Amino acid sequence: MIRKTIQYSKKIPEQALDGIPSSPGLAFGRAFIISPDNIIIPDEKIDESRIQEELNRFHGALHDLEAELNFILSRVSFESYNVQTIIQADLLIVKDDIFNNTVKNTILSGYSSESAIIKEFDKQKSFFNLTDDRTLRERAAEIDHIKERLLSFLRKRNIYYPVDEQSVVVAQSLTPADLVHFREAGIKGIITEVGGITSHASILARSFEIPAVIGVTNATEMIEHDSPLIIDGYYGKIFCNPKQKTIIEYQLRKSKEDLHRTELRDLVKLASKTIDGREIKLYANIDFMEDIETSIQVASEGIGLVRTENMIINLKHYPNEEEQYNWYCELADRIYPASVTIRVFDIGSDKYSEGILHHENNPALGLRGIRFLLSRPDIFETQIRAILRASRNKNIKMMIPMITHKSEADRAIQLIEKNKKELKAKHISFDEDISVGLMIETPAAALIADKLANIASFFSIGTNDLAQYTLAADRTNEMVSDIYNPLHPSVLQLIKLSVEAAQKYHLPVSICGELAGHAGATALLVGLGVDELSVSPSILLELKHRIRSINYKDSVRIAQAALQCTSYDEVRELLNIKN
Amino acid sequence: MSEKEATVVNRAGMHTRPAAMVVQMAAKYKSEIYLIRDGFLINAKSIIGVMTLTAERGCRLIVRAEGPDEDNAVKSIAELIDSGFGEAI
Repeated sequence: MIRKTIQYSKKIPEQALDGIPSSPGLAFGRAFIISPDNIIIPDEKIDESRIQEELNRFHGALHDLEAELNFILSRVSFESYNVQTIIQADLLIVKDDIFNNTVKNTILSGYSSESAIIKEFDKQKSFFNLTDDRTLRERAAEIDHIKERLLSFLRKRNIYYPVDEQSVVVAQSLTPADLVHFREAGIKGIITEVGGITSHASILARSFEIPAVIGVTNATEMIEHDSPLIIDGYYGKIFCNPKQKTIIEYQLRKSKEDLHRTELRDLVKLASKTIDGREIKLYANIDFMEDIETSIQVASEGIGLVRTENMIINLKHYPNEEEQYNWYCELADRIYPASVTIRVFDIGSDKYSEGILHHENNPALGLRGIRFLLSRPDIFETQIRAILRASRNKNIKMMIPMITHKSEADRAIQLIEKNKKELKAKHISFDEDISVGLMIETPAAALIADKLANIASFFSIGTNDLAQYTLAADRTNEMVSDIYNPLHPSVLQLIKLSVEAAQKYHLPVSICGELAGHAGATALLVGLGVDELSVSPSILLELKHRIRSINYKDSVRIAQAALQCTSYDEVRELLNIKN
Repeated sequence: MSEKEATVVNRAGMHTRPAAMVVQMAAKYKSEIYLIRDGFLINAKSIIGVMTLTAERGCRLIVRAEGPDEDNAVKSIAELIDSGFGEAI
């Protein structure tokens, strides 16, 4: 990576930039720019310790490309003979071991996968001047497509950036995989040009407690690499080359923030009840095993949402039954006697899906969640068995995402029952009364909530997706971010319907979307009759603090008023939320 | 070592499909097999190598093989090239 070293001097004027606050916190650091131009470095030397990882990345990219070509081939009809021949030739190129070995050797000699691929492909071009035949030269140039595809698959496979514990990463956008790597490197903050507040990268930044500001136009061009930065994840402010006055101001705020955090710690021992005594159970959402520590520290009732698809991100393949079983057992044992709610794989939409070539025009409306799992009973039943086996201490709940038809819930429950019988026959112990909850995250599910309540043990309202599907606005698309808002009265009506249906059948209702942690929405949700909130452990205590300061009777009135609102703006005004 | 000269006779030259045919044929033999053009030597089992040779019609190539089945390898690959890969000449 090319680093421009900027000498910090008082002559460089302070530059203030604004964005959307997406993960709270204050941090001081140095800019680490990841711009599209410096993503690929043709001559990147790597450390010996990274060679194995680079070889794995290269093989992974080959594997991905081969899967893609095979998929295309399976979709090409027999009549299009020419297309078939071309794809078959592309497959031969991907499987060209003689060539691939030259790339491998270049990596072994200390180059990154990207550099090695560019070097070796470019060498091949030296033959091109042997002929004057233009068609042949163009054909030969086709191998460049393969090079480009490989580089793009490598990009998806988590490029290694040499960030450190001083870095504030400035990028166009980031993948969840990038964030996992950054967290390990201990970075100070994140600034991106695009990305919504409910995008998975934002959710991860919050759960990792890394301050983040998103939607900063042209950030990668405006900010100089290595320049000193202050990032304010509460108000979405960034200061480049801050002047002494700003530095002092923020140092003061930072020490206040640290103090506030200590104060919040005192809340740990206190009950999560409104002034007039209504109890709201607080759970933690976790993505990684390490988050359990924070969850236990903040004394939550347990884990309200484990996103199991993160295992696929980490392992880069579908975990087998034993891998899953061990992971679920570790979760359940460490949180015991509190409970853990495991959501079965929610693959699809904007989430990572390794090796599955959906190629859907509209993945959010496609094969995802329970739809995907029912289409792949092998994957689904493996997961069911692993969860059931891990439930032996009776502190696991199972949750099914993306329900739109009652029949999907019926089929999922049938499969669970079938596997219970099989385990019983083998005398393997598990929780025979394991709770199976349904996610209400589509308008369809909310509208038939009374039918679903009949067969569920609990409801969990996923407000991110519920809002996205109700408002027909992609929650990761900046251009419709003003339309996407979970506080829109339509979404509130659907939450109300779901809560009413659940109350009829005495089911607990939880909210696990971002709305649960929204500072302005707490009274509203409590007033709507929600029993449980599940949020990132980093904000759980602040949420408890808010619950302890509200009156349930007042919240019911607020909720009733909000349901009468005709627009999001009215709701916002009512709740006193600043935009 | 065994060697034989072959000439590309088909009109389109050794483009993608013929290159794939050469590689698939070469893969059947245990010997190391090379194609030589104007002193440039490439491995005939590598499609990237064969494609980048950009052998147009009329181009003369030397097929060279070293190994237990070198004679058969050279013979069949040279024949394949001389035959024009079943394409228009």
